[in-house]
Amino acid sequence: MPDDIRTLLALALVFAPLSLLSIGSGAALLAEIEHQSVGVHAWTTQREFADLFAISRAAPGPGTMLSTLIGWKVAGLTGALTATVALYLPSSLLVFGTARLWRRWRGSVWHSAVERGLAPIAAGLILAGGIAVMRVSPGGPAVWAAAIASTALILRWPSLHPLALFAASGALFGVAAGLAG
Amino acid sequence: MIQPTIDNSCSNRIGLPALFVAFFRLGVMSFGGGTAGWLYREIVERRRWIDDMQFLSGAALGRLMPGSGGVNLTVQVGQLLRGSSGAMAAALGLLSGPLAIVLALAVSYTQISHNVTVHAILDGVAAAAIGLTFATGLKLVRFRRASAGPLAVTVATVLSVGVLRWPMIPVVLCLAPISIGLALLDRRGRNA
Repeated sequence: MPDDIRTLLALALVFAPLSLLSIGSGAALLAEIEHQSVGVHAWTTQREFADLFAISRAAPGPGTMLSTLIGWKVAGLTGALTATVALYLPSSLLVFGTARLWRRWRGSVWHSAVERGLAPIAAGLILAGGIAVMRVSPGGPAVWAAAIASTALILRWPSLHPLALFAASGALFGVAAGLAG
Repeated sequence: MIQPTIDNSCSNRIGLPALFVAFFRLGVMSFGGGTAGWLYREIVERRRWIDDMQFLSGAALGRLMPGSGGVNLTVQVGQLLRGSSGAMAAALGLLSGPLAIVLALAVSYTQISHNVTVHAILDGVAAAAIGLTFATGLKLVRFRRASAGPLAVTVATVLSVGVLRWPMIPVVLCLAPISIGLALLDRRGRNA
């Protein structure tokens, strides 16, 4: 087997199982990705891993793009694609199958009760997710204050586009850092 | 206000390219884990492709299953609107933008990872993204004009998972039967 294929296979074999193990927060996932890429496979040094993590935080996206960056570091664009697909495909297939089964029960008393019962929990989990992100943010109390102010602004003026708020808040922090430095 | 009902006859109007583009926009705007907030704003409030209940149902399952909650929710919305090809179009749309951006950042990486101002700007953007997440959660609570029971369940979820940092799965396994029971009782009460 050629080396590059072997590398891609190794990437897939690391990230595909993680796809199905990452329940709840991404924090556990992060520790395991670090262990695998620095310790087990020596794909990155400790320092490179820290840099890639910083970059992954800078990019937008629905989850961690850290696997993409590690794939890229190890095997270029095909590595990036392999690691991304490996991390997101298995969990997506699982939720796809589950949601399809679940929708078959639509219309029954139980289906509606479960949906209505899960709704307040889902709302609570969304709020808890915001708290979790706030807690791990390196910005500290300034980030908390800006987050609460943003919440109030969005609720008070629904027509305000969040991107405008993102830009304003980013600019404010950037200027403050410039003045402090 | 007329809320379009989501059945196949209606959802056929949403083309796969439109689905891809809508989720591509969500992906590139999702800073700091704000996918659910953007999805609510763009797909529920603005385009009205799904309703609040479908959003919450998808969000709950999306968080309970392994994987990214945002990707899981996206897969379900795509599936709801256009079946398996819809799920694929939505998920590819959501991920392709961030993938391109993160690789572009990686190419210019030495400038980025050591610049204090860049980090500060990212903190500011993340703060606003957290605000979007909070606002979405609060809107959903307010929308349901929650009676005491569901409201208590939401508060209990926030306290245990968000503040006390108890593991999510056991908390949900304890709260779900209570909350579903309340929903059943509520239904019976209304029927009586």
